Amino acid sequence: MEGVPLVLKYTVADKLYEVFWEGLKKGEIYATRCKRCGTIYFPPRRDCEKCLASDMEWVKLKEDGVLMTYTIVKQKPQGFESYPDYTIGIARNSDGVNLMCWVKGEPKVGKRVRLTTDTKRIICEIVE
Amino acid sequence: MNRRVAVIGVGNSKFGKRDDVTIRELAWEAIKEALEDANLRQKDIDITVVSSTAYRGTELYPAPPVSEYAGLVGKSPIRVEAACASGSAAAFTAINLIASGMADIVLAVGVDKMTEVDTSASLAIGGRGGNYYWEFQMYGTTFPAYYALYATRHMALYGTTEEDMALASVKAHKYASYNEKAHFRNRITVEDVLKSRVIAWPLKLLDCSPISDGSAAVIFASEEKVRELKIDTPIWVKGIGYSSDTSYIAARGEWVGLAAARDAALKAYKMAKVTPQDIEYATVHDCFSIAEIMAYEDLGFVEKGKGTQLLREGQTEKDGKVAVNLLGGLKAKGHPLGATGLSMIYEITKQLREEAGPVQHSFKKYIALTHNVGGTGHYAYVMIFSR
Repeated sequence: MEGVPLVLKYTVADKLYEVFWEGLKKGEIYATRCKRCGTIYFPPRRDCEKCLASDMEWVKLKEDGVLMTYTIVKQKPQGFESYPDYTIGIARNSDGVNLMCWVKGEPKVGKRVRLTTDTKRIICEIVE
Repeated sequence: MNRRVAVIGVGNSKFGKRDDVTIRELAWEAIKEALEDANLRQKDIDITVVSSTAYRGTELYPAPPVSEYAGLVGKSPIRVEAACASGSAAAFTAINLIASGMADIVLAVGVDKMTEVDTSASLAIGGRGGNYYWEFQMYGTTFPAYYALYATRHMALYGTTEEDMALASVKAHKYASYNEKAHFRNRITVEDVLKSRVIAWPLKLLDCSPISDGSAAVIFASEEKVRELKIDTPIWVKGIGYSSDTSYIAARGEWVGLAAARDAALKAYKMAKVTPQDIEYATVHDCFSIAEIMAYEDLGFVEKGKGTQLLREGQTEKDGKVAVNLLGGLKAKGHPLGATGLSMIYEITKQLREEAGPVQHSFKKYIALTHNVGGTGHYAYVMIFSR
């Protein structure tokens, strides 16, 4: 028999990381840096786990990087079923920061990439 | 540990799509077998630890219905969760309850009913198995995709091929064919794996463990109780290792092995005072074919990048150097998340007691290991047992 459906509608906090979400709309990727000890955090965070300070500044990440790995998602999860197949990758930029991204272009491990956004997420474009 | 702890009873339900039962009957199959195996009744159990991820079932708080049905009311005040390593988290809790002196006989039961939701919901739940806010929200991650990121990099760095990975699935199905409790009992070929549809390239359907329903139960006892009950062949807990890793997978900086599993293994070897070469039998967490290859490396059976070699040489087959997953592994036996870690202890207990029938491995030192990973190495437990 059919069970009782459970519909979960979520509201997700976004003010805290507004600079990051706004950056995505402009093609920019922001991390946070602890003003006290200088540690750069990506994903951005409010609190420094190293020196325990909660005094961060936003820093824009460099655009150039290298593709470390990737996967082409064919069987999609609920919420992404209407998307064409997408490639999830991990890129390392020249700040040494590792980021998850969607890959555009012909992916290959070790290829140079340019980090940008599509307004909603980080995109890494393969540089030919 | 302050007190020695042994396994004195084990049970395992039939794994598979179990729409013939609800979660309580499913759990009872394993609990009943474990009680009979230990020759105990519910009154002898001091406390019960239930492991279940529960996210994919209708019964979101499964411990009360399970313990009520099993006659364990009053004895099950805790449910534990460590994603796919929940079963080991239950064992870890149970063992420590005894080692600390809090209890003498503890039942750990793991159960999950994962086929009550559809596949796309199941993928969306598994895709949250890292960090929802910084991964799933933007990238639509799935659980196969996480492991595929490791597979792609392993292939690029070490020349591992899709054929190599397929060998792990072929081995799993071969041994599951002897296991009447396995989810899949059909044999498959490398070609079958390569031809199966792509889920998250390079992983294809037959590189992936199935979505399964199932339960497993293990009864642990203190050394005093083992003597008092005159247990024939107690299986002693010799070492426990545990670790964890970042939720955001990109932050790890390395994607060819699971640092948490390596760390857990080192801790377990140290506590048990053994080396990887002493291990004669292992259950490894082969949720995906690449995961079995990485497990061989992370456990130190072979150096990093050479995992495939062990498979090709047949070293992890029955009577090989270190037999692995002779009940079919997660890939073919099935992978009900909350049960898997305890099902691994079921398996090594049967092997160390020499009750494994057609898949009985030949032992010299009687030392075996369980390697149970939660998420993509977000949690890891390695436990070492001996007769």
